[in-house]
Amino acid sequence: MDSLITAAARALAAGDPLGALKRVALRDDAPALALRGIAMAQLGDLVRAKALLRRAARAFGPKEAVARARCVVAEAEIALVSRDLGWPAKTLDAARATLDAHGDRVNAAHARYLEVRRLLLIGRLDAAERTLAELDPAPFPPASRTAHELVVAGIAMRRLRTKAARAALARAERAARLARIPALTAEVESASLVLNTPAARLLASGEERLLLLEEVETLLASNALVVDACRHVVRDARTVASLARRPVLFALGRALGEAWPGDVPRDTLVARAFGAKHADESHRARLRVEVGRLRTVLRRLADVRATKRGFALTPRLAREVVVLARPVEEEHAAVLAFLADGESWSSSALALALGTSQRTVQRALDALAAAGKVQSCGRGRARRWMTPPVPGFTTTLLLPAPLPID
Amino acid sequence: MSRSTAEIVREYGPFPAVDQVHGVTYDGQHVWIAAGDTLNAFDPASGKTLRAIDVAAHAGTAFDGQHLFQLAEDRIQKIDPKTGRVLATIPAPGGGGDSGLTWAEGTLWVGQYRDRTIHQVDPHTGAILRTIESNRFVTGVTWIDGELWHGTWEGDESEVRRVDPRTGEVLERLEMPPGVGVSGLESDGGDQFFCGGGGSGKVRTVRRPRRGPATGSGAEISVDSTSK
Repeated sequence: MDSLITAAARALAAGDPLGALKRVALRDDAPALALRGIAMAQLGDLVRAKALLRRAARAFGPKEAVARARCVVAEAEIALVSRDLGWPAKTLDAARATLDAHGDRVNAAHARYLEVRRLLLIGRLDAAERTLAELDPAPFPPASRTAHELVVAGIAMRRLRTKAARAALARAERAARLARIPALTAEVESASLVLNTPAARLLASGEERLLLLEEVETLLASNALVVDACRHVVRDARTVASLARRPVLFALGRALGEAWPGDVPRDTLVARAFGAKHADESHRARLRVEVGRLRTVLRRLADVRATKRGFALTPRLAREVVVLARPVEEEHAAVLAFLADGESWSSSALALALGTSQRTVQRALDALAAAGKVQSCGRGRARRWMTPPVPGFTTTLLLPAPLPID
Repeated sequence: MSRSTAEIVREYGPFPAVDQVHGVTYDGQHVWIAAGDTLNAFDPASGKTLRAIDVAAHAGTAFDGQHLFQLAEDRIQKIDPKTGRVLATIPAPGGGGDSGLTWAEGTLWVGQYRDRTIHQVDPHTGAILRTIESNRFVTGVTWIDGELWHGTWEGDESEVRRVDPRTGEVLERLEMPPGVGVSGLESDGGDQFFCGGGGSGKVRTVRRPRRGPATGSGAEISVDSTSK
């Protein structure tokens, strides 16, 4: 390593990106480009940072594979932080393999975290969990360990395992304190906040109450029959019936759940399920058909019993019936309900599931995106939508040092 | 050209509060290492750190019998080892791309890392007197018995090599084990080199091959006389 690069790298490591830039601003050799890229990233100019790191990766010689791989990892992290999820995962994986092969285990692990965070961000929970399971965070520096625990917490929250989430957040907090990166500590704090903010609303016996994530978890494990309007499923402790793609059936189920143990008049059900103001004979006939379908779907969970004025729900094993809804019932709640599963959806799949036109869904998505309640990745037909991230997506850059000699 | 595996005789460090060794020199008694913000001296017999001078030390280090010379950013500083004071500063020939530094016969020799060159420099003005081309990245440089040696480090590959000081032709190569790099180089005046180990934070001594017919422990030199 040469003198000025060493001086610039030391400035960067000491948290002085401007000092680093001052030293290598006029140099265009590979290490200088890489340092300029990292410094620009730290200063928040991610576009410029990306371009510089890409040039650096190209400028390193064939024997400087490790330096090149570190540039690729840094570029991937910048892409992730700028939510550019179309970034090629294969390139990152190849860089990780190179780092592994050359014994740079810390940066190889960093590449893995980026991969997991990307999977989590695009709603591929299973894949994220599998990849994460291959990593042991113990030997890594505190900053990487914090990122690791945030990802663990993020997955646990999506999976409604609040105890595991709390434990991971506690570990993240300890690691963040050791790392002494204020932005990282703030990330852990905001992640913890999610656990202490109402996650859902419980509607039972005509009353409403806000629930924390922990209480949702307890409720789902209890012997209640839950009509879950956050995810459009009906479940008890053993069985889950998804009505995600049956909006009419779900509307009926929800109306019945809210009225339990009472029944719901036919006119009300027609209004809730079909949006009709007055039920005529054809509506009543259609209601009979739909109730029959609902009965089939719910057969292991509950019976849909006919009463004098309408229908009522009788759970098979559960002792009570409750409805779980989003904390605030908002416009486009149905769209949000689908996205609440944490997976990524195409707008056409949402339209299909909701039984509406793609234009209507698109309008809803645009409105929700403008309000920051959903986000998308990809372009054109490959575009996917999801709810904003749960913890696990630190936006703090923990970039690898790109230098060839160390 | 002869080619052999470098025989590492001894390892020093890592040293307290030193994450990287950027340069190394020897004043006849102590080994000095450039550690970023300090120049540290250790005793080669015990390996113990003896003292540290607070001075920017980003690359090569040299000793002229009286003063230390130290690369920092794009300058060469002349330092009084007793007081630690910077007595003079000249511009480095590579404008900051400089890596290795050594003293020989009244002039400084400076390795320029990615430019793969070695400059001979006037120690008073910094004027370049002569430039030798290498075909590898140049890290440390040192002179011993009229031989010019330099370290190279490119990715995983690192060597200590002897080059013809007029043509730059490679005369001899000592290959370091994979993953072990040479960031600084200094002869001990005898048959050993002190090699800075970069981010390993170590200093290693490497045996200098003996000349002439192999005698005693000279068996490690496998002579491979492919001429360039």
